[in-house]
Amino acid sequence: MKTVSSLLDEEWHKRYKSISKLNIRSSIYDVTNRCNLRCKGCFFFSSDEDKAAKEEMDLQKWEVFIDREKERGVNLAILIGGEPTICLDRVEAFYSRLPTFCATNGLIKVPRDRFPHLMVGISLWGDEEDEKLLRGKDTFPISSRNYEGDSHAYYLYTITPKQIGKTERIVNRIRDVGLKIHMQLLSNDEGVEEFFWTHEELKDIRAEMDDMLDKYPDVVISSNYYHEVITTGKMFDRQFGWGECPSVTEPIDRRDPRPKHLMGFIRWASDLKTMHRCCTSETRDCSTCKDGAAHMSWVMVNKRAHIRSEQDLKNWIEVYEMFAKLYQFIPW
Amino acid sequence: MAKDVENITIRIAEIMINELKLEDVTPETFDPEIDLVDEVGIDSMDLATVALVVQDEYGIRIDEDDYQKLTTIRFIAEYVQERM
Ligand code: SF4
Ligand code: SF4
Repeated sequence: MKTVSSLLDEEWHKRYKSISKLNIRSSIYDVTNRCNLRCKGCFFFSSDEDKAAKEEMDLQKWEVFIDREKERGVNLAILIGGEPTICLDRVEAFYSRLPTFCATNGLIKVPRDRFPHLMVGISLWGDEEDEKLLRGKDTFPISSRNYEGDSHAYYLYTITPKQIGKTERIVNRIRDVGLKIHMQLLSNDEGVEEFFWTHEELKDIRAEMDDMLDKYPDVVISSNYYHEVITTGKMFDRQFGWGECPSVTEPIDRRDPRPKHLMGFIRWASDLKTMHRCCTSETRDCSTCKDGAAHMSWVMVNKRAHIRSEQDLKNWIEVYEMFAKLYQFIPW
Repeated sequence: MAKDVENITIRIAEIMINELKLEDVTPETFDPEIDLVDEVGIDSMDLATVALVVQDEYGIRIDEDDYQKLTTIRFIAEYVQERM
């Protein structure tokens, strides 16, 4: 029988050991239904998730709710929205109780005297042209001014098909403001015209992502295997999609058979009662979904499947390390 | 008593191999001391699958909160034996 020790040398075994006991249990929270932008193809607004539940306004109720989440075993709160920084009191309620990650468009600066170690992921949808077209304005000059040199922030760069051949420029822009970068892909069905991945384009962007990681290993938080999985939708001979997705809200998951999934995962709406189907929009087509976190988690929950060769296990370790770095469980 | 644990150990190994479709191992060669989580990659979903069969077969209840203690086949066998 293949075991971890039989496949790894000492150095890799040490790396494995530093993540194997982390036992990350995440859930996602819509902090608010409001946003200071209206991006085209934002899954939250395009699928009317902002109308799915009435936002809870009583801060005390948030605090009680978060305490309950902690009791339930959640040890990573991923805050999304809307734009969480519009409601910093709620962000603080999470931050003071749980390891917390905050996704933001970066237009409002999280005050570091109040949130010294809050991990912030700043969304960026491409270059100036794409940003203007998709989000109505280029957010980079503002977000980079707000977070320049911040050691607890990184850019979450959503690559669109129009970015092929242009990613290096973006990586350099981000490097120049002293920040790190994680790459993900725009999903096909986000309702934005002309932003549709073809098979060929996915092949090209995979090579480009590999290239960026090769050239800028200190800036890019990624792994080649993640690039492979997210661009091909394949892990071994398995195809990503509804039948395999690990990021489905557990209490309402009626799939049979149930695939490997994130234990206890829930995506909560901002009324603190409604549960969304998964980490992204319910209207998204699972067969073309390119959600980065779901693909990463897909690899992570399938550890045993990767204990079959040295390379497979190393691939698994690299993806897990990437996730652990992005959410501050291990240092960059 | 010792024989009981030995028998249960072999049977648990067999259940694990069958339920999780583990390859290149037999109930006899499955090291009962090996760390199932760290070394074999067994997760709580796998344990739940195995626990269902074990519960049925031995007429006991395995509390989900105890999963974290059940890290080797030996520990599972002793846990079962104590509750039979
Ligand atoms: S900033 Fe984020 S939440 Fe706001 S509209 Fe854009 S994608 Fe949606
Ligand atoms: S849309 Fe994506 S994240 Fe949601 S269930 Fe489908 S595959 Fe999973």
